[in-house]
Amino acid sequence: MNNYPDFRKFNYTDMYNKMNNLFNQNIDNNIYTEAYEDNNNLYDPYNGFIRGNLFKDLYDPYKIKVPYDVKPMNEQASLLTDIDSLGFAMVDLNLYLDIYPDDNKAINLFNQYRKQKENLMQEYESKYGPISLNSESLNKYPWAWDDMPWPWDN
Amino acid sequence: MWKYEKKLEYPINIKKKDLRMAKALLEQYGGSNGEFAASLRYLNQRYTMPDEKGYALLNDIGTEELAHVEMIATMVTQLIKGASVKELMDNGLTAQYVQHDHAIFPTDANGVPFTSAYFATTGDWLADLTEDMAAEQKARAVYEHLMDLTDDPDLLAPLSFLRQREVVHYERFKELRNYYLKKFNVKNI
Repeated sequence: MNNYPDFRKFNYTDMYNKMNNLFNQNIDNNIYTEAYEDNNNLYDPYNGFIRGNLFKDLYDPYKIKVPYDVKPMNEQASLLTDIDSLGFAMVDLNLYLDIYPDDNKAINLFNQYRKQKENLMQEYESKYGPISLNSESLNKYPWAWDDMPWPWDN
Repeated sequence: MWKYEKKLEYPINIKKKDLRMAKALLEQYGGSNGEFAASLRYLNQRYTMPDEKGYALLNDIGTEELAHVEMIATMVTQLIKGASVKELMDNGLTAQYVQHDHAIFPTDANGVPFTSAYFATTGDWLADLTEDMAAEQKARAVYEHLMDLTDDPDLLAPLSFLRQREVVHYERFKELRNYYLKKFNVKNI
């Protein structure tokens, strides 16, 4: 049995029931502060991530009525989903701020998510190995960067 | 320069082999409205945008498109993993096997190799941004066609994510174009 990190333990579900939704909301509330609530035109990072869109007024689904939940099946996948969500929120705020550089609320939100992502990245990489070449987890023998799995594996 | 993160922008974990969808998905890899074309279009156009907003937006969307290239390649790789030669032949992938075996190569759904003729750089912000808006709409339409072809949640979830990114990118290009129309006092548009 191998013991290398495995982030692939997640599933999608379209059984969008209230319990699951509340569960996800609770996870989010532990991680993300209230700042996004001041921006009620925005989804929180997880709900933006599963939609591919942080901006409520731009969300325009096709075929699927409700977005698929990304269901982490273990602690590692759960941590990665939080990192993915924050990273996604940063990408979407980044594009928005390129056009609206004077929106101070969005700048503050970007920086809040950036710090949260940085902290979670450190936690993830210390436990499961490097995602980025800036990681302290690379200070080890043998070289850890090439460890499996790579993102395209399944 | 660029820095790699050893993860996908959105997770992909396909459990069911589907060669028909693999072939169809190649359209968004090396097709005329695909992710490679999108990334190279914006990353080449960024140098001649009129100001820092254009530099930044084309740089950053072009960068995100590279993450989408990786997502499509991941989907195709996982969809054809373990397929026999006979299965490839039975699903229209004979030429794919002859040329590439199970490897990834940027072609469209018909196996036509990628070409930079799929996009333009004109040095004219109005022409370039208008092309970019059209490119995002064409990619959105192709994602809808792809979503019509499958009911596998492992495919629909990432396809829906990618389709939605086209919607957002379109909006940002439109906002940039409108900002420049005003800034440069362009009439008759």
